[in-house]
Amino acid sequence: MARYAMVIDLDRCTGCRACMMACKVENNTPQANFWMYVFRFEEGHYPNTHIWFMPRPCMHCDNPPCAKVCPVGARYKRVDGLVATDWDRCIGCRYCEVACPYGVNYFNWKKPSKNYYLDWQAKDVQEVTGGAVPPYRNPDLDQPYGAERRRTAGGGRLKGVIEKCTFCVHRVERGQKPACVQNCPLFALHFGDLDDPNSTVSQLLRRKPSFRLLEELGTEPRVYYVGGHPPSSESHQIEEVRVRV
Amino acid sequence: MRIKRRTFLKGSATAGGGLLASHFLSRQLETLVAQQSGSSPKEDWIPTTCWIGKQDCGMVARRIDGRVVNFYGHPDHPRNRGTLCPKGVAQIMALYDPNRVKTPLIRTNEKGIPGQWRQASWDEALTIVAQKIREVRERDPRLLVWQKGRSKAKPFYDEAFVKASGATKLTHGAFCSDAAYRASEYTIGLSGGLHPDFRYTQFVLAWGWNLTAAGGNRLCWITWPQQLIQAKERGMKLVAIDPRLRGAGHFADEWLPIRPATDLALALALCQQLIARDTIDRAYLSQYTNAPFLVGEDGFFLRHHGKELVWDMASNAPRPYDAPGIVPALEGEYLVDGRSAKPAFQLFREHVAQYTPEWAAEICGVPAEAIERLAQELGENARIGSTIVIDGIEVPYRPVAIMTYHVAQQELGFQAVRAMLLIMMLLGAIGAAGGQRIDLGPWKLHENFEKLDKIQIKDPPYNIYLKDSPYFPINSNSSAIVAKVMQNPDKYGVDYIPEVIIIHMCNPLAAFASTPDLFEGYKKFKFVVVIDAWLSTTADLFADVVLPAAVLEKYEGPAAASDQYLDATALRLPVMEPLFQSRGEIEIYLDLCEKAGILYGPGGYLDQVNKALHLSDEHRLPLDRKPTVREIFDRWAKSAGISEGVAYFEKYGVKVAGPIPPKKFYGYVTDPPFGGVRHRLYGESLLRYQRDMQQRGVDTSYWRDYTPFPTWRKPTMEESPPTYDLYLISYKLIEHKQSRSAQIPLLAELAPRAWLDINPRTARERGIQDGDEVWVESHNALTGETRRVRIVARYREGIRPDTVAIPHHFGEAVRHPWAAANGAAANSLFFTGEGYVANTSDQSFHVKVRVYK
Repeated sequence: MARYAMVIDLDRCTGCRACMMACKVENNTPQANFWMYVFRFEEGHYPNTHIWFMPRPCMHCDNPPCAKVCPVGARYKRVDGLVATDWDRCIGCRYCEVACPYGVNYFNWKKPSKNYYLDWQAKDVQEVTGGAVPPYRNPDLDQPYGAERRRTAGGGRLKGVIEKCTFCVHRVERGQKPACVQNCPLFALHFGDLDDPNSTVSQLLRRKPSFRLLEELGTEPRVYYVGGHPPSSESHQIEEVRVRV
Repeated sequence: MRIKRRTFLKGSATAGGGLLASHFLSRQLETLVAQQSGSSPKEDWIPTTCWIGKQDCGMVARRIDGRVVNFYGHPDHPRNRGTLCPKGVAQIMALYDPNRVKTPLIRTNEKGIPGQWRQASWDEALTIVAQKIREVRERDPRLLVWQKGRSKAKPFYDEAFVKASGATKLTHGAFCSDAAYRASEYTIGLSGGLHPDFRYTQFVLAWGWNLTAAGGNRLCWITWPQQLIQAKERGMKLVAIDPRLRGAGHFADEWLPIRPATDLALALALCQQLIARDTIDRAYLSQYTNAPFLVGEDGFFLRHHGKELVWDMASNAPRPYDAPGIVPALEGEYLVDGRSAKPAFQLFREHVAQYTPEWAAEICGVPAEAIERLAQELGENARIGSTIVIDGIEVPYRPVAIMTYHVAQQELGFQAVRAMLLIMMLLGAIGAAGGQRIDLGPWKLHENFEKLDKIQIKDPPYNIYLKDSPYFPINSNSSAIVAKVMQNPDKYGVDYIPEVIIIHMCNPLAAFASTPDLFEGYKKFKFVVVIDAWLSTTADLFADVVLPAAVLEKYEGPAAASDQYLDATALRLPVMEPLFQSRGEIEIYLDLCEKAGILYGPGGYLDQVNKALHLSDEHRLPLDRKPTVREIFDRWAKSAGISEGVAYFEKYGVKVAGPIPPKKFYGYVTDPPFGGVRHRLYGESLLRYQRDMQQRGVDTSYWRDYTPFPTWRKPTMEESPPTYDLYLISYKLIEHKQSRSAQIPLLAELAPRAWLDINPRTARERGIQDGDEVWVESHNALTGETRRVRIVARYREGIRPDTVAIPHHFGEAVRHPWAAANGAAANSLFFTGEGYVANTSDQSFHVKVRVYK
């Protein structure tokens, strides 16, 4: 069994947020949900200013606080390392959202079909889309995944459930990389098997010093950063996305 | 269809770097196709070309039962290599947007205010437009104007329409980077801004290069950052010269926050330093430039039988520059026929002697030591005299270069970029391995090298953009100048006002600068047709007829697909049937031309398409039958030697011809070197234009920058009163493309509205908190006119305290729920005309402002 991890090379990230877009379209996440988020940071004072960028997906922790607090087993750790959410089971208590120190959980406050940016009900749009909402609805997301065959892929399911980054379980199980990784124009994102010494992630972690976010909490994230430093109180966020909910 | 990884990629040197290669070799799309879900929906993949950006990246549309569900980067496309920028991914929402213009629209209310419309059939709308075209063409073809935004792909159908109809064509470059194009065409003979040979360069000046957020010469985004990062990983150094750090981000090894609009001063100081340090490539200057040409006291070259003379140090006599065996002098003063003459280089040396680092430091706000160090590093890294062997060819090696582009759009832009080119000429880096590049692809001489040297200024009347006039002898065709002329044609020696304009995928009232002028100018057109997918501001205010264009549901092309090292071509192919009643542009022109009576026969649209696409005899379109659009591309492909025709592209999406060999790529080793021309250190013809302009009595502001060497003067905006104490600059965001994307919800969510970048120190002095709404008021130093907008101020430590900045893209460029109330448009604060355009009619994006609560 693979031990999946993501390695993010901050030396290569230009903060373009193409990963955020790739995630949104691939996973059909509703408005204001960013399973992948790219921080743009400014540090220091003019003219000794430093600007850098940090993508932040779900950390898919080996010791996931979100799974521990889930009262119904909807949030669980898979043997390959993915932290999954079974939206059939989720009761919307939002304990996971509180427990997670990384802020990666998104609660569907609205009926997702009414929360896809525009009204897709127009007759002439429906004629083309067959009524799909959003019109780019990805059919792969409807399949069950994992040995346990649970419905854990994609977003925009029900009002009142929690959704978050799945590491693109529907792609990974087909032997592909998560959408953000596949699309990164600067090849700053890498995904693979830590147990395979020849995987890009293993090679990168051997070659460059790495860190994980909030490592001191003992969450054991499966997302590693190379080529930079963790954000601190000196890191001032700029160009933040201000969502319209 | 099945995407295959083509074998040619193995030969591509850009596959260097283990990580990039491994990403590539993963054959992700192939895997994806191979393992498509076994469920019943029919899945297929359509290769096509991005519609939103400038560099026409390759994409593959994944379709489920004919419905597009995603766009992925085309893995074999040299420009984007299996990836897309945020705009590329997000455009899927543009495809289905129910707010697109769905049917042809005809205006029912007065113009100049938001439009009211009635839906019309294509037949009705095109009949009305065709009648107008017929009517004005019969009276005077000059009354018809055709305008397009940045051309997607090869502008063959544009050209064909312009030629068949006789319309005057307006372009967008004067708001983009055309000042740099003109400077490069005039000085080197290649068309473009400036970019490095990233494969070999070691030291790059990112001069206003917005590298993490948008631009770069010739391409828009993905390709340059990919090449830059590979270069960085092998040790290239990058110095960012920019009032804002944000563009360069953490990729800058050093940041020189220069004062806006002083780029020319810095470039001249670097020239002075390179000469003072004697880090100059004398061999190149003597052999490939006009540096040794003897200049008389009148400022013109000495000639004998029409040939320029140089001073031959071997025979100690003046000789024609191309006489064999001569040793031309670069320095000194000589007597020729009793008159004193100096080599152009000697004059340049004297000219720049005044431009010391201390002098420039005062103007640019960059320390003199930094300028000296920069010159030293340029000189050392240039390794003058060295060569390397590439593919068996020995090529001069000068691994230093400049990347510059939009920063050219300033009052002294033409001369600033000329001065940057002169830096690279002094170093011998033009066309060298690792050195300065200008155009993409092969080293190809542009016709403007000769044309811009041989302009004959004419007597009035002039056309609406003042071609061949004493105002702008070198002329980038500015719509803001057109707007000025439209308001007062007599003043400029123009004897007509055009009546009909067809505006195609262009939004001058939002995307171009000096909005109030454009409004007044475009108001004068009696009949306005807009071809667009959304109701642009321009359409909303002025269109009589709006024709709905398809976005990705159409054929367009051929699009260059070169990453600069590989030669490749692609097409935009329809990913589905056009939505609503929209249609592809080429189809629209075929029908419009038929109705206007200019489709068939010699000189007609079809004939012009044949010419513009250079179709070989056997593949020419017959001139008596309307073809389908697919047929046009099929003939083009076959004529270009692709025997499968358009089917090749339907299968593979992109045709990669292969690497461009060094003998075609590096100017030094082409045959003849540099296309056989002498690069213009000395701009003799600029002096000739100046004299002619003076004689014709135009205002000083028009002729003063027509100097043979770039010459510093204070920009006009500096004459604004001291209360206007800040410089306003503008820039582009990675999330948006001009006024093409503000309405795409996925992008509008990432970057929803305009803001003002302001240094916290500057803000606090004015009692402005981070997030406060403020007024930004600009001032025209010549007319005293002021303009102001309300905007949210955001603290940024990465900007000079004397500078504020606003991103473009906003200001409700289209009527759309996601573009409503998205803030201020930077373009409404800039001015045009005297003091705010370059001598080439290129728009300046600099102005003095004050900021207050």
